[in-house]
Amino acid sequence: MRVAFVLDGAPAELEAGEGEMLVDALRAAGRLSVRETCGIGVCGACAVIVDDEPVSACLMLAAQVDGRSVTTVEGLPDDDPVLQAFTQAHAAQCGWCTPGMVLTVKAMLADDPQIDRERAAEGLGGNLCRCGSYSRILDAVQLAAELTLKED
Amino acid sequence: MRVDPRARGAVRYSVDADMPGQLHAALVRSTVAHGVVRGIDVSGVAPGVTVLLPEDVADLPLYGCQIADQAVLAERPRHAGDVVAAVAAPTPAAARAAARAVVVEVDELPAVFDALDAAREEAPLLHEGLSVSDNDAAYFGIRPVAGTNICHRFRIRHGDVEAGFAAADVVVEGTFRTPAAAHVPMEPHATVARFTEDGRLEVVTGTQTPFNMRMELAAMFGLDEEDVRIVVPPMGGSFGAKTFTRQEGIVAALARKTGRPVKLVLGRSEEFLTLNRHPSIVHVRLGATRTGDLVAKAVTCWADTGAYADCGPGVAQKMGFAAPGPYRIPNCWVDAHAVYTNTPPNGAFRGYGAMQSIWASERTMDLLAARLGTGPLELRRRNLLRDGDAYATGEAMHGTCFEELLDRAAAAVGYEHDPAGKGLCLVMKGMQTPSRASIAIEREGDGYVIRCATTEMGQGARRSLALLAAERLGCRPEQIRVPDPDTDRVPYDTRTTSSRSTFMMAGALAEACEALLEDGRRGHGTIVNDGGLDPDTGQGVASTHWHQAAGAAHLEVDEETGRVRLHRVHCAVYAGRVVNAPGAALQNEGSMTMGLGTALFESVDFNEGQVTNANLSDYNVPTARDAAALTHELVEREGAPIHGLGETALPPVPAAIGNALASLGIELYDLPMTPERVLEAIDRRAAPSPEPDLEARRR
Ligand code: FES
Ligand code: FES
Repeated sequence: MRVAFVLDGAPAELEAGEGEMLVDALRAAGRLSVRETCGIGVCGACAVIVDDEPVSACLMLAAQVDGRSVTTVEGLPDDDPVLQAFTQAHAAQCGWCTPGMVLTVKAMLADDPQIDRERAAEGLGGNLCRCGSYSRILDAVQLAAELTLKED
Repeated sequence: MRVDPRARGAVRYSVDADMPGQLHAALVRSTVAHGVVRGIDVSGVAPGVTVLLPEDVADLPLYGCQIADQAVLAERPRHAGDVVAAVAAPTPAAARAAARAVVVEVDELPAVFDALDAAREEAPLLHEGLSVSDNDAAYFGIRPVAGTNICHRFRIRHGDVEAGFAAADVVVEGTFRTPAAAHVPMEPHATVARFTEDGRLEVVTGTQTPFNMRMELAAMFGLDEEDVRIVVPPMGGSFGAKTFTRQEGIVAALARKTGRPVKLVLGRSEEFLTLNRHPSIVHVRLGATRTGDLVAKAVTCWADTGAYADCGPGVAQKMGFAAPGPYRIPNCWVDAHAVYTNTPPNGAFRGYGAMQSIWASERTMDLLAARLGTGPLELRRRNLLRDGDAYATGEAMHGTCFEELLDRAAAAVGYEHDPAGKGLCLVMKGMQTPSRASIAIEREGDGYVIRCATTEMGQGARRSLALLAAERLGCRPEQIRVPDPDTDRVPYDTRTTSSRSTFMMAGALAEACEALLEDGRRGHGTIVNDGGLDPDTGQGVASTHWHQAAGAAHLEVDEETGRVRLHRVHCAVYAGRVVNAPGAALQNEGSMTMGLGTALFESVDFNEGQVTNANLSDYNVPTARDAAALTHELVEREGAPIHGLGETALPPVPAAIGNALASLGIELYDLPMTPERVLEAIDRRAAPSPEPDLEARRR
């Protein structure tokens, strides 16, 4: 099935095979920042933003994004406060989980711009980092909240 | 600020690597734990798919980094999940469908799943006749016990242990168990390989051991080592999972059969069948005088290495020489064994055997303190190793700072003020000895390029090397490029394991930078650390220097539910000198987070050899909320050598938590410390103490 959608701000099309998951379709389209770890919606490595909601691309069919807008980290501008915060807080080791973390944090801050550390930790319950960079990821959330407030 | 490429998702891992014209592979696995393949029916496989069968690899010799015991495809599967055939198809989906269509008929053999059962003389044998590998990972005396499932036994004989116990006023003992655990690298194992027109084998894969793999694949395919090329992109985590030869031999064999490049990415459930952490059973007997001086210790360790030895002999040995612990003990005997069972192979895992014996030994220290009526802090202080003391291996200690580490950890939880709900742990862990590291550095434009086999798996190795070189050469770290290791272009290095790389490579790099400054264009440096232990006496040099740490935990327990609520877990870790401050802190935090999973919930569960929780919903790993209680500090010493930090902060966590529970009368012997086990221990607290479980001491 032909799927027409907006990918990182630009119109895009892809051919979705029967039962093809969004994570596979996006990777085939070159978005290698979208990664699969668990395949069952519990790890957040495949997180993308569809319209304004964070979703697990391993659970969504590629056909479901028809007519919608998909954002990956590859579409964020360099001065994006969350990207900047993750960079400044040294919030990555291997970097595998980082794109999913960044997108989840973006959605989280949109809902709750003054989120505290505890709520942020709660909100990241579906994002695993096996390298254990959590404390710096939570530092990055706080920093991103400050940078976002400054921006507005 | 320039965005970190990791945040931008710009890092390219092995799963992202492709070769033009590649086919995609999938594996066909045994569903029985032990058996002989009677037939493989491929009639249901779609046309255009290549199936790799045992007869296709009949010419390939057995491999294994320490014992040559594994065939590329198993005609006699030895665990549920052993690979018996493989397929290559145009797409990953077609490959998976084809693998499902292959029907394997197996005659079952008796199987054994527990290390102590497997060590009995009447147990079914997994391997008849063991030959020690000629890979350079088999660097110590490996001692298989003929006619048994024991593929290595290691001994320490220091003093006269029976005389020591006879002189002891107090003797305590216990048997401690740890389960299989999964590394769960976020990036699965992924490999793409091809044979070039001139007959060379090229492999792009995530591995911590590129040169060991080159040696192994060369032997497998009858090639010169120079005709095998291993390229290692950054890994999305490894923690020991991506070591030695895993799926690479199968992928290369498929490439040979199809004449095309072949790519394989393992599925998440397959990760649990590929390599896990050694389950262990450790029995400790510890004796002291009334005044609290340790006089004798006897430890028996059983490391369950699964169906294939992999580096199990090395893990058992390290379990053995970590067992004395950082204490002065005049009489100490250790017997450590690696044993085959019909479960997936177990191998290197952050901590490398040390965690298992530290769990047992540090828990026993608190049993002894309780029996003596002295404090666990005093007992440790009184006996800890200081410079010039002899370790049980006979080597003289140097650069020790256990007292400072212990005091810092204790202070972080206010231990001396009130020890209730608090626990301590001291850790001493060896570094790969002997080993060899080489590095080259060349001028490139207005900067430099480093050629080095140290692999990047999130530990920040490249950043550390660039910082060290920049310091030597008087330039900015950004002027130094560290490309992916490629065995065609980088000098030999033992491997990126045991937290050795920063220390060893720093030494080699210093020499290389000096040579470059002299030559103007390029420089080369090599450093070797010598040593090793006699496997029959445990005497020699176990480690060039020791990784040292202390942990402390403060917690409370909900006695209705058995849930442990952590107020704080703190680790003080000796760094010698810190090279890359954020990287060092992240290594500590990561180790502690993994240690927390080990302590409280991680366990690969089996039923008759079948993994029952091979997914990330049933196998839990720590999340951001779990990590909130973890803190750490790095201890540096003026003029001290760099100490690796990759794993030192993992082993303190389980034992510190276990001892904090013990301070409340809740005595745990087995990991993980689940609410169910905590409740059982609460029930035991009321009951008279049971007979000690002596099964593990049988031999
Ligand atoms: S891969 Fe989609 S949530 Fe884990
Ligand atoms: S940085 Fe490696 S998984 Fe998060």
